[in-house]
Formats: sequence, structure tokens, C-alpha cells
Amino acid sequence: MHKATKLVIITERAILEGVAALIEAGGATGHTHVEAGGRGSRGKRSTVRPGISGVLGNVKIEAIVDSHAKAEAILNSVSERYFEHYSGIAYVEEVEILRPHKFEV
Amino acid sequence: MDILADVLTTMLSQLQKPTLAFLIGGMAIAAMGSKLEVPEPVYKFIVMLLLLKVGIGAGISVREANLAELAVPAIGAALVGITIVLLGRATLARLKGVSQIDGIATAGLFGAVSASTLAAGMAVLDDEGIAYEGFIGALYPFMDLAALMTAIVLARMAAERKAAAAVQAGGTATLQEAPAPSGLDTQMLKSILIDTLRSPAVSALILGLALGLLGRPDSVYQSFYEPLFRGLLSVLMLVMGIEAWQRLGELRRVAHAYVGYGLVAPLIHGALGFGVGLIAHQLTGFSAGGTVLLAVMAASSSDISGPPTLRAALPEANPSSYIGTSTGLGTPIAILSIPMWVALADIFIGL
Repeated sequence: MHKATKLVIITERAILEGVAALIEAGGATGHTHVEAGGRGSRGKRSTVRPGISGVLGNVKIEAIVDSHAKAEAILNSVSERYFEHYSGIAYVEEVEILRPHKFEV
Repeated sequence: MDILADVLTTMLSQLQKPTLAFLIGGMAIAAMGSKLEVPEPVYKFIVMLLLLKVGIGAGISVREANLAELAVPAIGAALVGITIVLLGRATLARLKGVSQIDGIATAGLFGAVSASTLAAGMAVLDDEGIAYEGFIGALYPFMDLAALMTAIVLARMAAERKAAAAVQAGGTATLQEAPAPSGLDTQMLKSILIDTLRSPAVSALILGLALGLLGRPDSVYQSFYEPLFRGLLSVLMLVMGIEAWQRLGELRRVAHAYVGYGLVAPLIHGALGFGVGLIAHQLTGFSAGGTVLLAVMAASSSDISGPPTLRAALPEANPSSYIGTSTGLGTPIAILSIPMWVALADIFIGL
């Protein structure tokens, strides 16, 4: 197995496309997103009831990059652009991956 | 007093009709904590079918209509959308505890149009056998676009003034850091316009219009869209009722002013639409049913397509305030007031 860094961003569905663009711009080769729900400092957010407009819905976005620095730079750019006005949780995890060539730019 | 009694009697009997009864039923079971829910793909599909139906119906009748007849109500609809936002900025956005941007965003949703409320208005008129112009659905985008764009432009201007004031208060900031007033260039207006036109609701309606106008979808309209309309609408009313109850909770976190606005504004906006309908009635012989639908459109507030547009264009605005006010209060009040406009049309124009 090979060492790599996974970045995780849990945020509003409304900005999914914008966050995905920043992730790709930061040097990730792709990303995965899933609908997310739970409870946080701003109150409860549920996948079952994201509001009929979808604006109150959340997503969890993950991407794997080949260096910790890259992951950190991406999270900083997302935070700078969005987290003043949109809710968001972001963190990185060290992971072990099977095929490193998939994550090299 | 007679008029009031008349209005109340009509409203009571209307509450038992399917459209309003399903809405109240939805609110009631949600209030009791029921786990009943309609999945997202289902109601999105229903909204699409309803808007296609409204669009196709309008398209088919525009084929035969005189374009000048459409112009007066269309201009009226756009003016109503803009006036509602200006009214909101002068009232709600100045009230205690309401940030100017949140207030303008809320007014934008109230100026925009709800497909479900418009469809409910059509169903009530159909039930009563009251005729209205077939092209009425074509007015939807005029009011919707006018309101959302006015709100976004005004709110962006307010946000920039606020940012500029903050920079000045900071004292140390240089001029370069102040956002340029040219932030509101035509480029931004164009992108908002394109975004709104591409939103699922407006797209479905315009597609329907084009199909009705250019194609000959009459057979599928008669055999599929028209008969399904009522049944689908009843499910959507249930969704709106459940949703209204749940979104009321959002209002616990915002100022009381929003509650007052959500309760009163739909009636004032409806009266505004009704007035424009009356003027069109004088000018071009716009029908009583059309006047009712113009009032219903003006009273309604956008729940499905408006909020994502606002969330993207106005990040600073708090979605709890505008979604809570619109979906929690504005929409049920607008739907429940439909019979009132019918009663008023009977009094002022005669049905």
C-alpha cells in the first residue's frame, strides 16, 4: 500500500459545484460526494428533510491527493472562498491507497 | 358586512375542496410528528409535470391569442414582481432585527412565483367552472424573473455598501480594498438571468410553452397532462403542507418581523396583483379568472426554484429567514387565500 492524503469537506449542497472546481484546481484528479446529514454547531441538518428547495441539504465531499501540502492548500482555498457565509467542516486524513498512479497529476 | 360574510362563506366551503384540504391535511400530520414523507424525486417530478402542463396549455392558447392581449398582463406581472421587492425593502428590510440583505432576499422570494400555488389557483377556478385566459401560465416567468433579479441587484448593492462602510470604519484599509461599485455590471445580471432561465421550474415552463406553441402536443395534453393535473396537485399540496410545518421551525431562530411579514405580505401582494388584473380588465377585457390568477401569482412565494438562486447569488443572506418565511408562512397563506380572490373577483368584476 502507498501513503496518500484524503481531504474531506462537509458543506452545503448549494456550493458543491464550486467546491469541486476548487478541488480540481488544487491538483486533485477527482472527487467523490455523497448526501450527508447530521447535527453540528449550527443545528440539525437532515438528508431526509433537506427542504423542498434542496438549499438546506448537505453533502460530504472527499478527494485523495498525493501530498499533505496539496490537501491543505485546497482546504484553505475552499475555506477562504466559502466558509464565511456557508457552513462547512473540513479535515484531512492520512490514508493508504492501492494504486498511486490514479492520484498523480 | 354582507361582503365579509360572503367572503367567509366562500372560503369555508373552499377549505373542504381537495386542493386546500390536502394542504391542511399535510400541515396537520406534520404537526402531529408523523413520519410520512414524499420522496424528493417524486415531488420534483410532479412539479415538472405541472409546469409542463401549465406551459403547454399556455403555448396552445398563445397560438390563437392576440399578442397585444398578452402584453398588458405580462408587463403588469413584471411590474408587480418588482414592486413587491421594493415594498419589502421599504418595510421588512427596515424592521428591527432584520438585516437589510435578509429582508430583501425574503421579499425576492415573495415576489417570485410558486408553481404549486399557481396550479392550485387554476384547479380552484376549474372546479368552479370559472374561465381564465389560457396564456396565463406564460406570465409566470415575467413576474418570477423580475422579482428575483430586482432582489438580487438590490441586495448586492446593500452588501457592497455594507462592505464599503466596514472598510471605512476599519480606517486602516486602503481604497483598493473597497469593492468596486462596478461589481453590479451587466456580466453579473446576465449570469443571474441565465441561471434563472436554466432553473428547473422556469425551464420546464418554457419547454412546455415552446412545445405548445411550435409542436402539436394537443393529444398528449388531453390524454395525459390534463387528467393527471388534479391528482398530482393533491400530492404536491400534501408535500407543501408537511414542508410548511417543518420550515416554521426555522422562524424560531430569526426576528419576529418575519412572522408578521409572512402572514400579511401575501395578502397585500395579492391585492396588488388583483389591482393590476382589474386595470387589465378595463384596458383589454382581461377576464375575472385571469385577475384571480394574477392575484394568486402575486400572493405566492417561491419555494422550490427561488431559494437555490438566492443562496448562490447572495451568500450573505441567511436561508433560514427567507425559506422559513416563504415556505413556512407565505405559501400556506397564499394558497388558503385563493378563495378570497375568487370572492373579490365575483364582487368587482362578476363571474
